[in-house]
Amino acid sequence: MSRFFANGSDSESESSEEEVLVQNYNKASNFQFSDDEEEVKRVVRSTKEKRYENLTDIIKTIRNHKKIKDIANTLSSFEDLTRAYTKALPVISKEENGITPRFYIRCLAELEDFINEVWEDRDGRKNLSKNNTKSLGTLRQKVRKYIKDFEEEMARFREAPDQESDVEEVEAQDSDAERADADSDDGISAPVVTKPADQPKAVKVVAAKVQADDDDSDDSIDWDPDTESETESSEDENQYQNMRERFLKRATEKEDKDDDKRKDKRKEQKHKIRKRAEDDEDGEWETVVKGNVVEKPKMFEKDAEIDIPLVLAKLIEIMSARGKKRTDRRLQIDLLFELRDIAELHQLGVPISVKIHFNIISAIYDYNQKISEPMKLEHWALLLEVMQSMMKILLVNPDINMNESVAEEQEEYNAAPYFIRGCPLAAVERLDDEFTKLLKECDPHSNDYVARLKDEVNVVKTIELVVQYFERAGSNNERCRIYLRKIEHLYYKFDPEVLKRKRGEQPATAATTTTAPSSVEVMDKLCKFIYAKDDTDRIRTRAILAHIYHHAMHDNWFQARDLVLMSHLQDNIDAADPSTRILYNRMMANLGLCAFRQENIKDAHHCLVDLMVTGKPKELLAQGLLPQRQHERSAEQEKIEKQRQMPFHMHINLELLECVYLVSAMLLEIPYIAAHEFDARRRMISKTFYQQLRSSERQSLVGPPESMREHVVAAAKAMRCGNWQACANFIVNKKMNTKVWDLFYESDRVREMLVKFIKEESLRTYLFTYSNVYTSISIPSLAQMYELPLPKVHSIISKMIINEELMASLDDPTETVVMHRSEPSRLQALAMQFVDKVTNLVDVNEKVFDMKQGNFFQRGNMGNRDRGYNRNQNNQGGNWGGQRRDNRNQRNRNQRGHHKQQQQQQQQQQQQVQTIEEE
Amino acid sequence: MAQFDLTRINCQYLDRHLTFPLLEFLCGKEIYNQQELLEYILETVNKTNMIDYTMDTRKRLNLSQEMPEELVQRKAEVLATLKQLQNEVAPIMKATDILKNGESMKDSKTFVNALQKDYNFKVEHLESAYKLAKYLYECGNYQESTSYLYFCLIVMSPNDKNYLNVLWGKLAAEILTLNWNTALEDLTRLRDYIDSANFSTIQALQQRTWLIHWSVLVFFNHAKGRDLIIEMFLYKPLYLNAIQTMCPHIMRYLATAVVINRTRRNALKDLIKVIQQESYTYRDPITEFLECLYVNFDFEGARLKLHECQTVILNDFFIVACLNEFVEDARLMIFETFCRIHQCITISMLADKLNMKPNEAECWIVNLIRNARLNAKIDSKLGHVVMGTQPLSPYQQLVEKIDSLSMRSEHLAGLIERKSKQKNQESIDSWKYY
Repeated sequence: MSRFFANGSDSESESSEEEVLVQNYNKASNFQFSDDEEEVKRVVRSTKEKRYENLTDIIKTIRNHKKIKDIANTLSSFEDLTRAYTKALPVISKEENGITPRFYIRCLAELEDFINEVWEDRDGRKNLSKNNTKSLGTLRQKVRKYIKDFEEEMARFREAPDQESDVEEVEAQDSDAERADADSDDGISAPVVTKPADQPKAVKVVAAKVQADDDDSDDSIDWDPDTESETESSEDENQYQNMRERFLKRATEKEDKDDDKRKDKRKEQKHKIRKRAEDDEDGEWETVVKGNVVEKPKMFEKDAEIDIPLVLAKLIEIMSARGKKRTDRRLQIDLLFELRDIAELHQLGVPISVKIHFNIISAIYDYNQKISEPMKLEHWALLLEVMQSMMKILLVNPDINMNESVAEEQEEYNAAPYFIRGCPLAAVERLDDEFTKLLKECDPHSNDYVARLKDEVNVVKTIELVVQYFERAGSNNERCRIYLRKIEHLYYKFDPEVLKRKRGEQPATAATTTTAPSSVEVMDKLCKFIYAKDDTDRIRTRAILAHIYHHAMHDNWFQARDLVLMSHLQDNIDAADPSTRILYNRMMANLGLCAFRQENIKDAHHCLVDLMVTGKPKELLAQGLLPQRQHERSAEQEKIEKQRQMPFHMHINLELLECVYLVSAMLLEIPYIAAHEFDARRRMISKTFYQQLRSSERQSLVGPPESMREHVVAAAKAMRCGNWQACANFIVNKKMNTKVWDLFYESDRVREMLVKFIKEESLRTYLFTYSNVYTSISIPSLAQMYELPLPKVHSIISKMIINEELMASLDDPTETVVMHRSEPSRLQALAMQFVDKVTNLVDVNEKVFDMKQGNFFQRGNMGNRDRGYNRNQNNQGGNWGGQRRDNRNQRNRNQRGHHKQQQQQQQQQQQQVQTIEEE
Repeated sequence: MAQFDLTRINCQYLDRHLTFPLLEFLCGKEIYNQQELLEYILETVNKTNMIDYTMDTRKRLNLSQEMPEELVQRKAEVLATLKQLQNEVAPIMKATDILKNGESMKDSKTFVNALQKDYNFKVEHLESAYKLAKYLYECGNYQESTSYLYFCLIVMSPNDKNYLNVLWGKLAAEILTLNWNTALEDLTRLRDYIDSANFSTIQALQQRTWLIHWSVLVFFNHAKGRDLIIEMFLYKPLYLNAIQTMCPHIMRYLATAVVINRTRRNALKDLIKVIQQESYTYRDPITEFLECLYVNFDFEGARLKLHECQTVILNDFFIVACLNEFVEDARLMIFETFCRIHQCITISMLADKLNMKPNEAECWIVNLIRNARLNAKIDSKLGHVVMGTQPLSPYQQLVEKIDSLSMRSEHLAGLIERKSKQKNQESIDSWKYY
């Protein structure tokens, strides 16, 4: 998670993490005041202001629409205007004695003029779009009807069109705004959704919402909105004189022009201030803070000419509030949206829009202050949308360079090679992390999870967009990083196409110009790029692991194995970070499954043994925490561990894993036990399997098997007597099919393979166990017993003879196996035992010497594991966990040393004393 | 048989001149279309300066008898360049001839000193000698080329940028003049150079791959090569890795070498491990034969594969000379394995497995028994061969086990002694300082 921040030379994306991380990057001068001042400034608006501001806003948009002759929108804005006016009517009647505000009249007059003008201009009318023409008619009718109510005022206005209206407007707007309180609640509950392609109408909507939100935060501080309007006028004017002074200083520049109105207004404000002061004493309200919006009730002065520097200044102003304790984060987001729409409205160019998009993204990230908690769903949807639209813009406009290395001063928005500061890579990485968090929050078995998971497609799409962007303009390092993200969304997904192609059911890779490349090919391409270009070890390691995982998933056993052996990952994985180790474990688990499917039982066992021997594969694969035992973990630790967990859809089925492990252990262990039944130096191949076996032996009454483990144990018991049929029935039956085997892609093939192996190993076990009863066994009858083809039986027996496991030879004319087992006499047997023990002694001596020498750990195959392309073919099998096993042998040997006969112990001691003396 | 033909792959790793023998060999084998092959040869030859060979190939292709204008022109050009280069080098060579008889020939340093002192030798001369050698080589005059290369090798310091090229050139020229002894020397020198030089991993891998291919030519033609090839390919991890990663098809030659080398039977086990490991990237009848015999103990399969092996070997330039040996040894291998497993074999079955007639087989077995390589008796009434198997008696087992023990103990005692001596020495040394 923190990687997102760790990268940050980019202050834009570096947001407030846990608490406050003030990044006062763009210091706008108007933010340099103390808290006191803020207190005062915060409360300046009355209902009247709000209402009026609402009106002026709409009027402004109407004006804008008029400029570009967008009549359809003018119409809708006009409708909004009338509605807003009706809302404002009570205030107007109260405050201004029913006189309609002048700016409103002026607007109506202008609108009428505009309509008449357009209507007269017949040529122009023809050129209008269908939609606009239609709207024009409607608008004309509506306006005519509407202004009948205002005829008197209109006439007066036309007589003396004055310039004073500006002043009034500001005033009016202030007082009007307050009135919006009453219905502000509805505005908030509605989700804040604005499409980037919105028509200017949206501007107004957003503006309104900003208002609403703003007011809402007011309310949450102060009191119930409904009571406000009733109480507001009853306040004592004389209280808090000094507050009033302060306010006077702060209010809008032209306020002194209209005394009457101000009095009222001031009354309300004071009231609020007082309330605020009271609340502040409590202190508990401090965390929720109104942002800077109150001083900026609207984005720009209404007549201000909106151009790039202005918007930029505004943007910097908004963004500089981030990370501050008192900033309302949601408000910031909304403000930025508004700004974006304004910028689009004035066609300030794509770069500005990208810049604002980017800032919206970081603002959304900022919203959530606790890093461990997922973001809200609505924000998530918003984020995805903004991210995608930003990337699309970036892709469509190749002359925009968005890069974290661009310094603030170098940003360029006016001329063709645009330069913008920002890092889409960090943004998308954060996006991905947020997505994982969201997933982890859901209950994996609920529909919620599925619904969330649907967004995966979108995330992948977004990543793909970023990949495209960086393929065009990124450095190698950046490409590696984004490729890794893509890989991490790809590697665990199974693509049946690959297997079909491999079996030749579909045209092979060469002829796939028309079809999309299979996921394995995509993986190959991405990983190879990373192998070649990456210079941080971590990305490469992860890419290799994912690559192996993917290969293993698609049954490319040899490729996967070679990658493991050549990368020498198993040597230094212990030094890696936890999440990489988890990936390593996942890879090993999958490799084991792949080996099993590909009939490499021994390798499967080797891959899985390290995971299973600990008894907590669940934890090792990060698929769930083990229950607490006596507070092993602190709360802190548990939190960290929780963060590492894999989302549910990436889990590897643990029962499948365990079953595969136990079955492969059974196939190896049972013949081994049979062969070394009387061997003093027998060792276990699989400890876990032994435990299962022993625990079942301890039971006084063994019922029919229920769980997967019981099935395997029962099968193992059957195999010990060479009863392959029973064994196969225990392993492959309906219960096991639903529990385990059906989870494989080609389960039938796996089952066939299993039965084949069970037959072979049972045969071997049978021969080991019962060979001393026979002098000769007929091969055809063996073949019949085990339902194996004759050559196969022949080959198995031959192998046993050659490896000197079976003291026998074949008699060709009679097709029998003739046993040569000669039972040693009592004396001979004792002598053999004695020799074994002497051998032990020598072993121990050598070990003692080695330890003294200090090169004890360089024994065996450790020495010849050098880096490079070296594949350690000598101990191919032992490579997986060879080291561990070596150590264990030595330990075992050591233990046996303690069980020696008295005499030999003395002997040994003597020898050791000698050794020491000699030294 | 084209599916098992490796010429196409091998040629990628050989010098242009080295490919001609291979291609000519193929011409006689009728695996590919003769016409196409010749055209290909012509194309390749055209890239060299061997004008006469070009003409010859053209004749074989039944193109016009007359020499095309451009060829005549080129011939003149080539001769002129040759002349010019020879003139440049002439004084030095003369000097060398004189010095050769004298004392200074003993080691390269004194030789170079003498050259510099008495004959005004300069680096440019070396450069032109190198150029001339290369030119001669390109013209197909390998014999002369080697002598200039030899000169270069003596005079050049190993740090020279051309040193590696000279080594390669020398090896190629020696191979082409069929000078196997010197070729082997050059091979070792080149190998040492590659192993010691500071190549990047990929470069080293590439160099080794080339070296492996070239050395196959030498090894199968030199008397000692059969041991050396096993030594180098199988037991030098660097080269084994190169084979595994770059050219698994070399397994064919390695397998052949192991099969025909009776003294190195223990290499078989290692070889089979490698074959199994690489079976997914490369398999051909020869590796499959070994796999059948030693992994699956499928004698029927081994028999069939042996049959295929014969055709494969017959069509492979590198190992065609070993055909008879291979078949003989392969049979012996089958038979040996057979004997280890069986105590009684019918001769007819054996003959079948060995691709022989029963009479021949009996004769063959009789010879084996007489040479005491086989402890067996023939029961001619039933047509059986009965092995004189001796199950390992417990007594023997005991002796075997104890055998190694005394060895190990002795070794240990020796080590301890040495250690204590060293310690004494050290303690004496450390006393000196006080």
